[in-house]
Amino acid sequence: MIREFLVWLQRDLGKGAGDSAQSWSEALLGSLNFWSLLEGTHLLSLMLFAGTIFIVDLRLLGITFQRTPVSVVCDRILPLTVAGFLLVVLTGLALFYAKPLFYYHNVWFRVKLIFLAAAILNVFFFHSRVRRNGEAWDIDTKPPRKVRAAAAASLASWLVVIVMGRFLAYDWFECGKPIPYWANVAQDCRASEGGAIDLVAINSLPGHQP
Amino acid sequence: MRISFETLLPSLKPWVEGLVDVWPAYAIKSQFASWEVLHILSLVLLGGTSIILNLRLIGVGMTAEPPSEIYRNLRRWQDFGVIGIVVTGLLIGMANAERLYGSTAFLVKIIALVAGIVLTYGASRSVARADGLVSRAARLALAVGLTIWVLGLAIFATGVLINPGLLHVVMAAGLIIALLARGRFRWVYFGVTLLLLLVQLGVTHFLVNPFDVAKLDPINKAFGWALAAWTLAVAAFQLRASAKEQWLAKVVGFVSILVWVTAAAAGRWIAFA
Repeated sequence: MIREFLVWLQRDLGKGAGDSAQSWSEALLGSLNFWSLLEGTHLLSLMLFAGTIFIVDLRLLGITFQRTPVSVVCDRILPLTVAGFLLVVLTGLALFYAKPLFYYHNVWFRVKLIFLAAAILNVFFFHSRVRRNGEAWDIDTKPPRKVRAAAAASLASWLVVIVMGRFLAYDWFECGKPIPYWANVAQDCRASEGGAIDLVAINSLPGHQP
Repeated sequence: MRISFETLLPSLKPWVEGLVDVWPAYAIKSQFASWEVLHILSLVLLGGTSIILNLRLIGVGMTAEPPSEIYRNLRRWQDFGVIGIVVTGLLIGMANAERLYGSTAFLVKIIALVAGIVLTYGASRSVARADGLVSRAARLALAVGLTIWVLGLAIFATGVLINPGLLHVVMAAGLIIALLARGRFRWVYFGVTLLLLLVQLGVTHFLVNPFDVAKLDPINKAFGWALAAWTLAVAAFQLRASAKEQWLAKVVGFVSILVWVTAAAAGRWIAFA
């Protein structure tokens, strides 16, 4: 279901008549500079987005800005974080649109999405539950354990998201290459164009030199 | 221009070619991606701290606290960021030395790095520590850092295949302007900028054949310059209202953010050109 939609998104949407016609997705990927500008903006916006959220998390952990009330740090810095988040998400969606099937069959991208979801859930959890009685610990040098736990979870999940984001550019586990069984399953390689080739099966073929 | 360390220092070629066989480069080579991640995380830390500290100098963000308090809280983290990018950068740079040697983007990145260190440690942090007061030493650091940065920008702007990356710097400047702008001024700024981009889109997609690169190139460059000039003019207009002392502190803030954006943008465009 999802894959069929992505195939349509990548190959058919916006395609005109004629043999050399490109879909919008293909045109975006093939653009001379636009894709690079999107990718560069995606990475550079991390300085604004992740850079500011890390400082807020460090305040919640009681490591920096100990003399400044938590509410002040949140109210002043989080608008910058939101601006950065908008940039990262918009460029990220466009980058996904340029090669949806590549990302769909990419284990790093799948892990990235899971941790992205976890990080966003943590944001909602923090603002709906943790911050509700914020006045009680607003000026605490070191906020209560529950707050610090939420901050640590935020830091950890955004870190994983960034690491996965960088790793997905590497083709260590590309579908169609001899890769471990778990990678073939995790990436649904069987449905991919490259297919699923099992590393162990290849290595145990007679006459094969690993 | 295709200027690079290779054209500037051609005699270093044998040394550069041998770098990859020297410890720790050959050890790094197989862990390249992991060190690259640490490079990016350092950049994030450096970016976040620089943005918060310098926006405060401009008068945006953490205005509830004096600049000296922001500086006191962020300086160690900013140090981590700078040390992190330099150390990881040296390691991945050694493992990839031949490629970087011939790269114009890499040359721009190193020039911006030097300018970034001069501006951050000589100007930005000194002004923040003194709560906005720009000492003579800070003025000197601003002049030196600004000169080095503009040199880097000039090479960036004339670099074959890499100059579109300069748009990141213009966009970052636009973002700072948008954060600083208030009321009607903000909407005028957004409106004119959007208009410029729409006209560019229209011209390059409907008036000119979008596959005719030879024709598109000068048009895109003209729009790039127009956008940069418009951004610079608005920034100058925004700063003109401040008293002289504040005005200089704001310039320090502006430049000290953009210099790191330049280094990061050039760094990314190493891979694109």
